[in-house]
Amino acid sequence: MTPAEMGAVHAESHAAHGGAGHPHAEEHRPVFTGAPRAELDALLSRYPTRMAALLPALWIVQRERGWVSEGAMAEVAQVLDLTPAYVKGVVTFYTMYHQHPVGRYFVQVCTTSPCGACGADDVVRAFLEHTGTRELGVTSPDGKFTVIEVECLGACGFATPVMVNDEFHESVTPDRVPDILSKLE
Amino acid sequence: MSDAKMITLTIEGRQVQVAEGTSILEAAKAAGVLVPHYCYHPGLPVAGVCRMCLVEVEKAPKLAPACATAVAEGQVVHVHSGKALEARKGVLEFLLINHPLDCPICDQAGECELQDYTFAEGRSEGRLVEPKRFNPVEDFGGDVLYVPNRCILCTRCVRFMDDVAQEPVLNVSERGDRAVIGKFEGQDLTHPWSGNVVDLCPVGALLSKDFLNKARAWELDRTASVCPNCTQGCNMMVETRDNMVVRLRPRPNDDVNKYFMCDYGRLNYRWMNRSDRLEAPLVRRGDRLAVAEWEAALVAAAKALDGKRVHAVVSPSLSNEALYLVSRLLERREGTGAFRVERGPEAPLPGVEDLALRSDRAANVHGAELLGFRRSDTPMAGLRGGDALLFVDADPGVLDVTDLGRAASVVVIGTTLPEVLRGADVVLPIANMVEEEGTFTNLRGRVQRFLQARAAPGMARPSWWVLGDLLGTMGEPGNYFLASDVFTALAGARAEFAGMSYDTLGLRGLPVMSPAGAR
Repeated sequence: MTPAEMGAVHAESHAAHGGAGHPHAEEHRPVFTGAPRAELDALLSRYPTRMAALLPALWIVQRERGWVSEGAMAEVAQVLDLTPAYVKGVVTFYTMYHQHPVGRYFVQVCTTSPCGACGADDVVRAFLEHTGTRELGVTSPDGKFTVIEVECLGACGFATPVMVNDEFHESVTPDRVPDILSKLE
Repeated sequence: MSDAKMITLTIEGRQVQVAEGTSILEAAKAAGVLVPHYCYHPGLPVAGVCRMCLVEVEKAPKLAPACATAVAEGQVVHVHSGKALEARKGVLEFLLINHPLDCPICDQAGECELQDYTFAEGRSEGRLVEPKRFNPVEDFGGDVLYVPNRCILCTRCVRFMDDVAQEPVLNVSERGDRAVIGKFEGQDLTHPWSGNVVDLCPVGALLSKDFLNKARAWELDRTASVCPNCTQGCNMMVETRDNMVVRLRPRPNDDVNKYFMCDYGRLNYRWMNRSDRLEAPLVRRGDRLAVAEWEAALVAAAKALDGKRVHAVVSPSLSNEALYLVSRLLERREGTGAFRVERGPEAPLPGVEDLALRSDRAANVHGAELLGFRRSDTPMAGLRGGDALLFVDADPGVLDVTDLGRAASVVVIGTTLPEVLRGADVVLPIANMVEEEGTFTNLRGRVQRFLQARAAPGMARPSWWVLGDLLGTMGEPGNYFLASDVFTALAGARAEFAGMSYDTLGLRGLPVMSPAGAR
């Protein structure tokens, strides 16, 4: 196989994983202007080094844009005097930073052992069906929902816990799912 | 070194004395004991991530990473104890969990540390029954291809780009069993020294595109040499297969290039295998050049130079030996010698002091100057009407036909015969630098040996041999049997080289004498 062919293999597999190879290649609009910039400056005053503010800076990006694009990583690198490669290493290390856009409502269902024993898989199936996403990690056609499985949400006594954005639901069963979803805009 | 406190410790039953602050791994090296390791490399900062170099230190509660543990007085270290062996066996088993075990099609096989240590100390069978994770091959740009499935995440490449090349484009992306070496989109390994990550990679994860699928490591013959592609004089290995140069790799030398070599030097080797070479001496017979015996050709060359002032245009990549003999010929014929140097952009390696791809793209500019040749952009300008021209493997770009018209006779000593020199009176074929032995003097005045790596084509002979015999034919003492004889004569004749011989140079070289008589 020539290097060119190997490259082709790579591009295809990217497509298979997360939609098109680089679907979000459009120009990056800077995040750190105005209020987010002031917020970052306040954060920076709390740490001994600029590098130390990397995780909170990424949280600001995710809150403002819903996910962390490569353009945003480059911007964070620039404002914190880091290299884009370093920032990317950190973003990809932590699972809670989104490297692709997600729905307005990000549904996380706990499927760790105790919840699994209490029927978490059925809860997952119910969410996939009622949100119309059909597959884990895929955003519904209306852009409203993304459903994923997560490891322990720390409510093993109240299986199955589900987080919808920052809102916590305990003891969720499949028949409660339509009710939870109906309250979301 | 001398004022550092010395520490005495015992490694594998051998007592060894090293400076305070030395790692156990380096102390073991000094004691002749190899501690298996992956992430440690003497040219890079210590990371301590591979856990392969765990050794047992008596009275310590647990195994210590030899690369990141400093020696202590009276320490007793066991590298091959049961506990240490078991730890390494475990590390190797984990490293192989997602490894494709594709040694038969891997370029690294035969020079792979994962293969070597697994063979020496690993389990003979794996216990993994789950499917292996798969990541596709990625083009890292430059000459580098990344095969993530073979990667053991030692981060040598990341640290090289961060700390030595100081262009941090690589990272460790993801985590756990998904972790791979990543790079930021659009930032490739285009640094002029980035090819070193392929040498640094202890396994087959980073491969040279140029060398891809060309040869198995065990088929290669390796010859110590010096890179001829700029005046830096990086020490290198010439790797040949079936008399063809297939790869150049750096050869460590602390005084010159540490462990590194630039991409320009490393990849500029195809000319060494040129097949349109001069293979026989040629002598003019009327309007054509006819093949001749060496003896007849040397007589013809001596005759062509006889009784005339000689102007020599030489290549600045000839050996000191060849240039010395040309300089003696010029002394005899009251001639002048000049050379032109091809230039290109300079490319330093920031993490190593005084190491760069130099803008002078020739091996022996300093040596040529020391031996009395004049550097000039128009080396032909020194040719007066009625002079004999001696053209020794120089770039034919310096010539045009009107220049040649001024010469009373033309003798070409070279590896090829360019079109513009077809009117020569005598043509003597010589070996190129990988086909002969000799020395270069680098830009800091370090004289370094290179050895013969492949056979010269046809009747071509080493340059020192041809020039020595030519001097002999002209009546000078000059018939040498070995390159080292020429060098000894050079050392006896030129103050800068005084006291040197191939033996004292060794394979790391020595600096020339300064005018004040100091090295």
